[in-house]
Amino acid sequence: MNASADTIELSRCRACPARFLPSDGPCPRCGSAESQLYLSPALGRVLAATELVHPAAGWESPHRLALVELPEAVRLLAIVDGELPSVDAVVSVRRDGDVYRARGEPVSPTR
Amino acid sequence: MTTHIVSVGTGRFGKRPEGLIDLAAEAAQRALEGIGRKPVDLLVGGTMLAHGPHGSEAFLPRLASRLSLESAAGFRVDSASGTGGMAFQAAVLALESGRFERALVVAAEKMTDRTTAVITRELASSLHASEVAIGATMPALAALVVEQYLQRYQLTTGVLDAASVHARAMAARNINAQFQKPVTAEEVATSRPVALPLRLLHCSPISDGATALVVERGRGPATVLGFGQGLDAVRLIDRADLTSFLATRIAAKRAYESAHLTRKEIDVVEVHDAFSPFGMIHIEDLGICGAGEAPAWFEKGWAALDGRVPVNPSGGVIGRGHPVAASGLAEVAEIALQLRGEAGTHAIARTPKVGLAQAMSGIGTHNFVTILGREDA
Repeated sequence: MNASADTIELSRCRACPARFLPSDGPCPRCGSAESQLYLSPALGRVLAATELVHPAAGWESPHRLALVELPEAVRLLAIVDGELPSVDAVVSVRRDGDVYRARGEPVSPTR
Repeated sequence: MTTHIVSVGTGRFGKRPEGLIDLAAEAAQRALEGIGRKPVDLLVGGTMLAHGPHGSEAFLPRLASRLSLESAAGFRVDSASGTGGMAFQAAVLALESGRFERALVVAAEKMTDRTTAVITRELASSLHASEVAIGATMPALAALVVEQYLQRYQLTTGVLDAASVHARAMAARNINAQFQKPVTAEEVATSRPVALPLRLLHCSPISDGATALVVERGRGPATVLGFGQGLDAVRLIDRADLTSFLATRIAAKRAYESAHLTRKEIDVVEVHDAFSPFGMIHIEDLGICGAGEAPAWFEKGWAALDGRVPVNPSGGVIGRGHPVAASGLAEVAEIALQLRGEAGTHAIARTPKVGLAQAMSGIGTHNFVTILGREDA
């Protein structure tokens, strides 16, 4: 199964109702190793976002991060490419190796 | 079996020239001075960031040697920024077992000998690997929590500023606090951005420091009435609600139950406000006020020394300073000072009977609540 630009691979536990990120390994809710990959629309809602003026070593300033909720309440933390999204903004998300990236409509920081 | 705090040893928090063991020994010796020649048969200590030349491998033996306590037993505990809270509870449990008579509890941290970048990376070791992988830091995750809190209760960043103004006003009365000058809301609001909406003066500083206290079996002005701890998911994405810390709620429930007390009987609290909004979340989680009500406490003076329930009379983590492992023990020590009538210039207005100290590890992964009270409480 390969995610296109419009979709993202998520995991569905076979033992409980949990849905989670494939990078999580076993189900974070019940510990079951039995899970199934499925494709979900790669759009999520921003729950919170921040801009680090002095990011950790190895990251360029400003470094922006967002807590994003995907369909079926799957949450992820993503690196934001581009401007800082506002709360409730819809962003597109994609997997990039071990991390997730989000990009949304340009919105200037309000705070 | 009941235990009580018989002596408190504090040193100044801030940038100090001494090394880790010297800082720990200073606080320990002050605590030991308070008990005369009584023997100590247990040493419980903790430090988070020490390694290599700082002496992590031999923290307890080095300290025991400096204090001539080689005949005591010892336990070293580690719970990141909650280390001091864990150390205290471990000592109380050991005394309650009946195997020990009197414990010296010491928590210390040396931080200012490293760059901010190194400290930031080391503190991030208490985050989940997937969070570190995207460049998240402690302030970054705290900022996400803050965003959720502000959004949920439709608040502006002004409430964060008010909490920092409160912390610094309290600290200015405490000679052992890192910050001796109060700040205005405008100074907080215009301090340099760290992880927006958090600015520098919303964040705890990098500090050296140590706290020590002696606990023994029996009762006194600072008797251990109850305590509890709670754990939560390390990853923020695994938590249903970011506007409250489950680990505090669990710890508080257990502490109140073991003390046979309710929140209404708490006269003073010390909470782990590593970032200014956390102080608000903590007093809500402890039941001191309802969900979303905490901002008013800082804006209307209800948290002040003469307020409804004074919050962080020591200055808290933001004002007193944050030598990470020491902070959890400094919180317990402050409540003991208040109950023992030894708080001096930062004593609360009314004589307290019961006080509560709350310590937090990481972003609320493992929290500790301890309730102390006078023997007649």
